[in-house]
Amino acid sequence: MTDQPTFTVEVHQNRFLPAGGTVVDAVLDVTASGTGPAAAGGPPSAAQVIMIDCSGSMNSPATKMQEAKKATAAAIDALRDGVAFAIVAGRGNADMVFPSTVSLVPANRQTRGQAKNAVHRLQASGGTAIGTWLTMANHLFAPSTAEVKHAIMLTDGQNQHETAEQLAIVLRACQGRFVCDARGVGADWSGSELRTVASALLGSADGLPDPGELVADFRAMTETAMGKSVAEATLRLWTPAGATIRFVKQVFPHVEDLTGRRADVSARIGDYPTGSWGAEHREYHVSIQVPANAVGEEMLAGRVSLVTGDQVLSQSLVLANWTDETALSTQINGRVAHYTGQAELADAIQQGLAARDAGDVETATAKLGRAVQLAEESGHSDTAKLLGKVVDVIDAPSGTVRLKQKVAGVDAELANVRSVKTIRVKGS
Amino acid sequence: MAPTGCPDCGEPVRPGDRFCEACGHDLDTPASAVQDKPRTSPVRWLTATEIAAACPACQGRSFSSDGFCEECGQRRPTARNHTELDLGVVAAVTDIGSRHHRNEDAVAIGVLDDAVAIVVCDGVSSSSRPDTASHAAADAAMAALLDGLADGDDRDASIIAATRAAQAAATVVAGSHPGPNPPSCTFVSAVVTADAITIGWVGDSRAYWLPDGEGEPSLLTVDDSLRNSLAARGVSGKAIDENPHAASLVRWLGSDATDTDPHLRTIAPETPGRVLVCSDGLFRYRPVVTDLAAAVAAAKGPPLTGAQYLTQLALDEGGHDNVTVVLAPYPIEPADPDTVTAAAVTAVPAGEEDPSEGSRT
Repeated sequence: MTDQPTFTVEVHQNRFLPAGGTVVDAVLDVTASGTGPAAAGGPPSAAQVIMIDCSGSMNSPATKMQEAKKATAAAIDALRDGVAFAIVAGRGNADMVFPSTVSLVPANRQTRGQAKNAVHRLQASGGTAIGTWLTMANHLFAPSTAEVKHAIMLTDGQNQHETAEQLAIVLRACQGRFVCDARGVGADWSGSELRTVASALLGSADGLPDPGELVADFRAMTETAMGKSVAEATLRLWTPAGATIRFVKQVFPHVEDLTGRRADVSARIGDYPTGSWGAEHREYHVSIQVPANAVGEEMLAGRVSLVTGDQVLSQSLVLANWTDETALSTQINGRVAHYTGQAELADAIQQGLAARDAGDVETATAKLGRAVQLAEESGHSDTAKLLGKVVDVIDAPSGTVRLKQKVAGVDAELANVRSVKTIRVKGS
Repeated sequence: MAPTGCPDCGEPVRPGDRFCEACGHDLDTPASAVQDKPRTSPVRWLTATEIAAACPACQGRSFSSDGFCEECGQRRPTARNHTELDLGVVAAVTDIGSRHHRNEDAVAIGVLDDAVAIVVCDGVSSSSRPDTASHAAADAAMAALLDGLADGDDRDASIIAATRAAQAAATVVAGSHPGPNPPSCTFVSAVVTADAITIGWVGDSRAYWLPDGEGEPSLLTVDDSLRNSLAARGVSGKAIDENPHAASLVRWLGSDATDTDPHLRTIAPETPGRVLVCSDGLFRYRPVVTDLAAAVAAAKGPPLTGAQYLTQLALDEGGHDNVTVVLAPYPIEPADPDTVTAAAVTAVPAGEEDPSEGSRT
């Protein structure tokens, strides 16, 4: 018996290309289900580090610090017995909260109690340097042999005490070492910063304007990490000689461009990291350029496998058929079109908000207008609602908008951090 | 029962493998082109199907179980561009022609002591991977046809069983995700004995009776075309004849085919002559029966020479399509097992052929 879940992969594509056509797009529906952690052999071993922002601003309002403490306690309670964990206080540098030494300790009744007591005594004072917190987490995880290494990082403000370049160096050092979910609380965090951290460390990013939401969110993140039944899976892509990989993106539940993260297995095969899996559903968009073939020919444009260790969990084919029947070659696959639109939506929001911050009203209006239009077309009502706080929508179908004069900063940051969240095709 | 070793090279194979990992031999087809059956009566057959050992595009020799080159992704060829099959009393020639990039025609010929069996399948070019359907169908049909005849089943029953086997094989190659245009092919088979000729068909590949001397040549099959199916319901006329879709195929074999029972016809000529079974790559150049008969009359010599001559005729006139020609004299001479020289003329080890050889593009 094995504790591996069952992976099913379904390929959605229009395999028909016109004469001379070279671009093959496919959306892969990946669903992990089945045995889960309860099965024989038990779940993969896990370790978790929680980084709580303890900068001075966490006291204004005081509910932020109070809720952060409660949320951390809830996360500690959600740890399985035996999971190695540590709590880090984030300021201008990183301080150990529990244990007092730079190490992980196994969760049990006693250590959970000690940890919660230590968290309870935390005081907010000092600055914010996220990179130093992540460096500490990396340090803590380094000696651990746990299969799932999960971190939660909570911040309430922007990364003031280090440069973006410094953070980028830290993120490169941490990449592939652990997964990190990034959260912003209150009104002063930066959406793009949270996305940068979560994207590099294959976690999720979100903002919680209301500190009251922290407890449920911390518990959910921890439970999800504890529920992971495959520690590390990679998307393995075979492409034929002469083919170019245009991109490999995760497109659901959020957009994550994996193209640049390829690790070559051989000239024809590359691995893309997808992090750990529980019982969940994700979708990937693969776009491959192949040499044109004769009409009537069929070729294998790609073979996608989900691999963990040496084990191939599933495998499916991306095909290309050349046809002179335009009725076939002009059919756009619904999923491909949908996720192409969703990726464009994320780009439009991010570029529109950046232009708005830079004072470029024209670009901001055009990009955010396009975003409103795409959100309307795809039925992405959550995003439409967020955009409605940044722009006045005059006509959604045509994407006609006007920038709002007064925007609560957190609304723009929420629109930014959630720009990568996607919805599935209607009716699926 | 899955084979434990490749019938061609002897290397071990795993259950479920379709191709030998060592030599690329298709484990679903006979070890060599010649199949000897453990029966009392001698049964031998040849097929044009030949799974290539090397990729014609990149020379790669590694193929996935789904039939794609592991190097360049091109689909593994199912046959050579040009194949000649000769069993003495029946011979076949098939050629890619000048316009196509793959020979989607498949042909198999066989002999028992008292009958000659012929199967021709033409891949429908608007379907995907049509050559996989035609080759799988032709091989499955020939095996079933000879089984039936050797077991003493009547000719109609044997042809019906062969058609079912062909349909099943053409369905299997579509795989679990057939898509909108799954592999499909036509089907025509003939059983020629000392006193009768029986034809069974689905689609628009044809069989002809061409008597020696003064007799009347005739087309034995009726194409499953839109024009003919309308005519059968009493609808005809100039408008239909001029309709570009009049020649469209209305019946075929494949996973999306619903009506796959063969039409059957038996004739018992009193005079000697020849049976011609061919794909549209030949008869498109001689649509009138008497013109085709004149061409066949000029094709002197043994069946192989005649089939070569007629194939060349189609190529000389443009070779717009794959062309397949099978000739068998009627009545057949009862075969002496010792004199049947069964050999594929192109029996060169797979993959050692110059990939461009036989290509006329």
